[in-house]
Parts: sequence; C-alpha cells; structure tokens
Amino acid sequence: MAELSLTSIRKTFGDATAVETLDLSIANGEFLTLLGPSGCGKTTILRMIAGIAMPDAGEIRIGGRRVDGLPPEGRNVGLVFQSYALFPHMTVAANVGFGLKMRKVPRREAEDRIAAALDLVDLGRFAARYPRELSGGQQQRVALARALVTEPDLLLLDEPLSNLDAKLRDQLREDLRRLQERLRVTTLYVTHDQSEAMALSDRILVMRAGRIVEEGAPEALYRRPRTRFAAEFLGQTNVVRLIRRDGMAMLPWGEAMPDAQSDSAYVSIRPEDIALRPDPHGPGRITACTFLGPTVEYRVELAERSLRVRQTGSGTVLLTEGTGVALSLLVTPHPLAEGMA
Amino acid sequence: MTRLSVPMTAAILLLPGAGYLALLFGLPLVLAVLASFGVLTRGYDGGPTLAFYAELFGTRAYVDGLVFSTYLALVPTAVSLMISVPLAVLLAQSFPGRRLFTALNKVPLVVPGIVAAFIVMTLFDRGGTAARVLAPLGLDLPKLVRDDWAIGAVMATVWKTVPFMTLIVGGAMASINRDVVLAARTLGAGPVATFWQIQIPLALPGITAATLLSFIGGMGAFAVPNLLGPVYPLPLSVHMYVNAFERANWGLVAAMGTTLSAISCVVLLAYYRVTRGLRAAGGAR
Repeated sequence: MAELSLTSIRKTFGDATAVETLDLSIANGEFLTLLGPSGCGKTTILRMIAGIAMPDAGEIRIGGRRVDGLPPEGRNVGLVFQSYALFPHMTVAANVGFGLKMRKVPRREAEDRIAAALDLVDLGRFAARYPRELSGGQQQRVALARALVTEPDLLLLDEPLSNLDAKLRDQLREDLRRLQERLRVTTLYVTHDQSEAMALSDRILVMRAGRIVEEGAPEALYRRPRTRFAAEFLGQTNVVRLIRRDGMAMLPWGEAMPDAQSDSAYVSIRPEDIALRPDPHGPGRITACTFLGPTVEYRVELAERSLRVRQTGSGTVLLTEGTGVALSLLVTPHPLAEGMA
Repeated sequence: MTRLSVPMTAAILLLPGAGYLALLFGLPLVLAVLASFGVLTRGYDGGPTLAFYAELFGTRAYVDGLVFSTYLALVPTAVSLMISVPLAVLLAQSFPGRRLFTALNKVPLVVPGIVAAFIVMTLFDRGGTAARVLAPLGLDLPKLVRDDWAIGAVMATVWKTVPFMTLIVGGAMASINRDVVLAARTLGAGPVATFWQIQIPLALPGITAATLLSFIGGMGAFAVPNLLGPVYPLPLSVHMYVNAFERANWGLVAAMGTTLSAISCVVLLAYYRVTRGLRAAGGAR
C-alpha cells in the first residue's frame, strides 16, 4: 500500500491529446475513481500508471518512488482489466500464482498465498479449473485475486464490472468495496458508470476530454456539483436558468430561491428534489408518466421548458397525463459555476 | 411423394462437399495404398503382396533415401521455426521501416522453389557469385551445394519456408488478446518471460500448424534436393520418379508414397494431440 501522485502528466496520440497536463494524487488506502465518458482519457491515465503506456511529460510516483521510467514489471501494481485478461492456458491457481512465480516466491509459500487469495474471493474450490470453465463473475474474481496476491502498492481497476449483467455487477460491487475496506489497498478505479463510482469511492474525479472537470466525495459531487457536466454525468438532473425579478432569483415555476443562492444564473435540481401536487391552476402540466416500480418518473411541461420529476414510495398517487400540477423544492438546489461546461 | 429419411437427406446435402473430397483426395490415397500391396497395381497382376515394401526396406539406397527425406523435412523446419517465431514477434512491433521489411520478407513466397534452388546454386556453388566475391580476400567458401549435409538444399528450403511460417505464426501471435500479454507484464514478467510463458503457449496452435505444413512439404521435396542435394543419398521422391518413369515399378512407387504419407500422418497425429491439449485448456483459438 502506498500513496500515488501524478505531476504534470500529459499524453498525446499523434495530433490527438488523450490527457491534458494534469496533477492527481491518491492518499494511502484511498479508493479513488476516475469517472467519465468513453475517450475522456481515464483509461490512458491508468495505463500510464501501470507502465503499459508512456506519458509524454510529467512524473509518476508510487509511495514516493518515481516509476514513470520503469517497465510495468518494476512498478508493483496490480491491474484488473475490463476483459479480465486471464491466461487461458493456465488453471485458476496458476493464474493467481503467476505473479508469485515471477517474483520467485518459494513453492510452499506461493501455494499458501494462492489459497488465501482464492479464499478471499470465495473461489477456493475452483483452483484446478480453467478460466473458460468459469462464469464472467468468477473470472473477474480470479483477476482480482491475481492482482492482489502479490500485495501490490497500488490496485488499478479498469472498468472491471462492465462486462457483467446488472445483478452480478451489484453483487461484485459490494464484494469489491468490502474487500478494499478490509485490505485498505490504495485503489484507482476507472469507470463510466456513475452509480459504480458513487457506491465504491472515497473520492471521484470527473473527467472530460482529457481534463479533470471536478472532484469530490460522492455525496458532495452528486448533491452540490459545481459544473453542468458533472451534474449531468452523475445521474439525471434539471439544469434550470434562474429568472431575475425585483432583485430576486426565481425558479421557472415562480418559486423564489433563497438569497444565498441568488448570484448564479443556473442551478442543478435533481428530479427527486422536486415535489408535485395536483393543482388545476398550477404552472405545470404532466405530459408523460412512467411507472418504474420503486419510482415514478414524470415529464412536467412549464411555460418555456419541461422538467424531469421523480417520486418515490408506494403511497405515491399516480398523476395521469394532462394533470395540472404545482411544484415546490424539497431541498435548496446548488448553483452551478457560470461559464463552465 | 415419398419423403426422404433424415440421414438420407443429410447425405445428399453433404455430397457436393464431402463427395468431392472423397473422390479427389480419399480415392487416390486408397488406390495408392492398395497398389503398394499389389492390389490394382499398374503393370503388376501377381495378386496381393508385401514384396514392394520388402524391396523398399531391403534396399540400402531406398532406406537411406527415406532417412534423407525425413532429414530434409526436419532440419529446414527446425531452422525455419527458430527464425520465424522471433521474426513474427519482431514484425508485430512498431519500428521504422517495418512495412518495407515486412514486404521484403514476403518476396520468397512468390518465388517458385526451383527458382530459389537456382538462386542458391548461382550464389553458393563452386565458382558462384559468393565464391568470386570472397576469392580476392583470400577466403574460401565451404562446399554448400551438393554437399553431404545438403546445406544448399536446407538453405533454399529455409529461404522459402521462413516467410510462410512467419505469416502463420504472426497471425497466431496477433490473435492473442493484448491485455493478456500486458497482464503478464504488470504481474512481474519481463519481455522474455512473457514470450515463453504466455505468447508461445497461446500461439502454439499456429506454430504447430506451420511446422506440420513445412514438414509435410519437406517430406515430398523433389526439385530443391535434386538440384542442390548430395549425389548420395537421394531423397525418396527422386527414387519414386526414377522407379515410375524409368523402371515402371509402380508398386514400389506406391509403397514409397504410402510410407512418406504414413510418416506425415504420425506428425499430423502429434499435431492434433498438442492442439487438443491446448483446446481442452482453453488456449487454442
């Protein structure tokens, strides 16, 4: 376990800039997630840390040791690939033991460590099987055991759950978090899935086009995003322009914003932070209603725009299309920094 | 109208493909094997016999020819393999001039074997280009053409085989998931360990296929060893030619052909054994 720091790292592929000059650091034992859409540079950062891509400029230090000039085998990092990347010609035990074999760990000690690593991911009974004889979830757990058995300074995970079905993904997400909390291994996780990022991370870095757009703890990023991009990438939201009237900032349905928030032109309001009440004379009208089981999603038409509203709870009365509604805020929305995408 | 049974329908549907194979490949092979035992043998009507095999294995020149044919299959294949596998790995890398190098490497593919033999002869025979270039320097080239070890024949065959083998092995290497190779590196394996522990085992189906095809080609080689090989022994293919067209001993020719095919079949079975093991392990692609 060790802290990681990237200083003035930059990477281009020909004319295309994959990663703009950036700094990044992870504290010892921290779980940090790089979150962003495809092509934003998050996997490139991870690969530069692992040593399988070389930065054009900058420094990478793991536990204070500069590693950016070292080959991958000299960095002591564990990397879990999206494709699992298990060795198809080796058994599960041989896969997990590969890193130990390369480090010339004595056979008896290696056997004990392989058994312990497989027990850690609850796959002890599959040691003699080949990867093709395992399910996707089991293969991913083998990949995790293989990355952890060498006791790396840093664990790197490249969208490890994206090839799994939704139910298995949720299960593995919980397992992964529990494991990381238990081992306290410094972890860098790369994903485009905001719910994965929020469920797992101590801290999230939102990326766009090779830059870090915003960073923070999951709850703070979700509830109080500073940028429109982060607000929209971390779940659904309504980015609303405030209307100035008599020195006050008003929401599109006429509700006044608290004074403290009135400097900004835009606010991000999550669909679940708006309450609806049937009112034939209200400013809104339901134009679409989608029942999703635990939640009901509405599209509410106002004079100049429409809003997405979500209601939860089995006591919720379903509002039909065409119903007039009054709207009110459940929490004070957070202003977005103007001019920032 | 009578409906055909399922097996009959399947047989009729398979006929264009399987029938073609049976007629043009299976039937001649069966006829050659039968002819080697004196059945339906051209120019022989003495009934079933082992006399042709007795003649083959009882004649020193033929036994030496069989050993020499096996040598001409094994040695160029082994040498080509040692060049082709590292070359395939090299060509998968990015380096300046790679496209030109790859294109030049493929030139021998389009040069017929007999032409390759003449190139080697022109270059390395006594009084050839290489000897003339080295003579003013006081250097003398060892005997490479029609020498006892058939070095000239091995050189010509290797020159022809390397690009072909590199192509197949390179394809097998390219089909390996790149993440698997990178995973080995992040787990502590250097480039050499990754090559031996990951890339070679995963490319083994391609490597064995290329080896098999090269070996079988070598077993039947005719023109190259005839031009560049030693006066004695002659490869079995040359003895087949002489017995067919100068002595009309078709039964012996069939016995020689069957024996060469049987050795190739043994290698084929070994190939299936290796690749079946890999498929069972999930390594074959």
